[in-house]
Amino acid sequence: MNANNMKFLYAGIMIALVISVLAPFLASSDPDGLESAAGGVIDEARMAELEESEPVVGSPMPDYAIEGLGKGGEVAAIALGTLAVLGISFGFGKAFNKKA
Amino acid sequence: MHIPDAFIPLNQAIVYWVIALPFILMSMKWAKNELDEMKVPILAALAAGIFAIQAMNIPIGMGTSGHMVGATLVAIVFASPWAGVLVLTLVLLVQGFAFGDGGITTMGANILNMGVISGFVGYYTYAALRKSLSANIAAFGGAWLGLFMSAIVCAVQMTVAGTFPLKEGLIAMGTFHLIIGFIGEGLITAIVISAIARSRPDLLENKFGAGSERTDTEAFV
Repeated sequence: MNANNMKFLYAGIMIALVISVLAPFLASSDPDGLESAAGGVIDEARMAELEESEPVVGSPMPDYAIEGLGKGGEVAAIALGTLAVLGISFGFGKAFNKKA
Repeated sequence: MHIPDAFIPLNQAIVYWVIALPFILMSMKWAKNELDEMKVPILAALAAGIFAIQAMNIPIGMGTSGHMVGATLVAIVFASPWAGVLVLTLVLLVQGFAFGDGGITTMGANILNMGVISGFVGYYTYAALRKSLSANIAAFGGAWLGLFMSAIVCAVQMTVAGTFPLKEGLIAMGTFHLIIGFIGEGLITAIVISAIARSRPDLLENKFGAGSERTDTEAFV
């Protein structure tokens, strides 16, 4: 483990966690490019049908929120996701990296 | 651009999974052959940062927002589009299973669009531009085109799925992602690349310099 690369990791974690805390307050709640395009090009009845359809597999924190916890829950959900991605990619990298 | 389950019929969604799978396996092979232990913290830092920034939707007007994808950024830092595929696969897995952002059936299509198309188009555009332009501008151009092309492919998939009409779908997806690519992808990628160039120039040196480690994909550039 190179010390400079560990510094890069800590800086990355700090930046990612700051974004996690800010995102629920700063992020736009407007539909994204795909949803917005869908709203414009699909007729209303079909769009309503698509919007009502449930995901095939349910998720524990849909829409980056924790039920009943409001903005704090959103911060926690995004921070948890950030740490999960961090842990998985670190573990994956360790398991799969080039063996000297 | 995360496609939900309902937007693609299951049989087509499976086809995209089948196409995506060899790319995912190749990205793991890349990790096995090219990712040395020293670089694991860099990969993890970028993956965490990309997950977080994908939650930060930026308004682009027209009642629409968009966020960075990040495959080009990762590909530039690791001098390989496979790194972008790998990180986006890990990010999309967590987004899909933990947060319902992007369907599970459509995850193959999402990995294909945001990991493979965006990463490959972005990285090779960057590499081509880098020959005559500064790293910042090349990164901007690559990231912008990578995102734009993945949106165009997504619009075609939506047409094949019977969800969008072709022309209207292409115009709407193209217009929104032209702008999202400009702000959300191009600008942020260029800013991060210039920050890395200032603080850790060694990370970006291995690409066009001689004698340092190179990836097999660079042979094509």
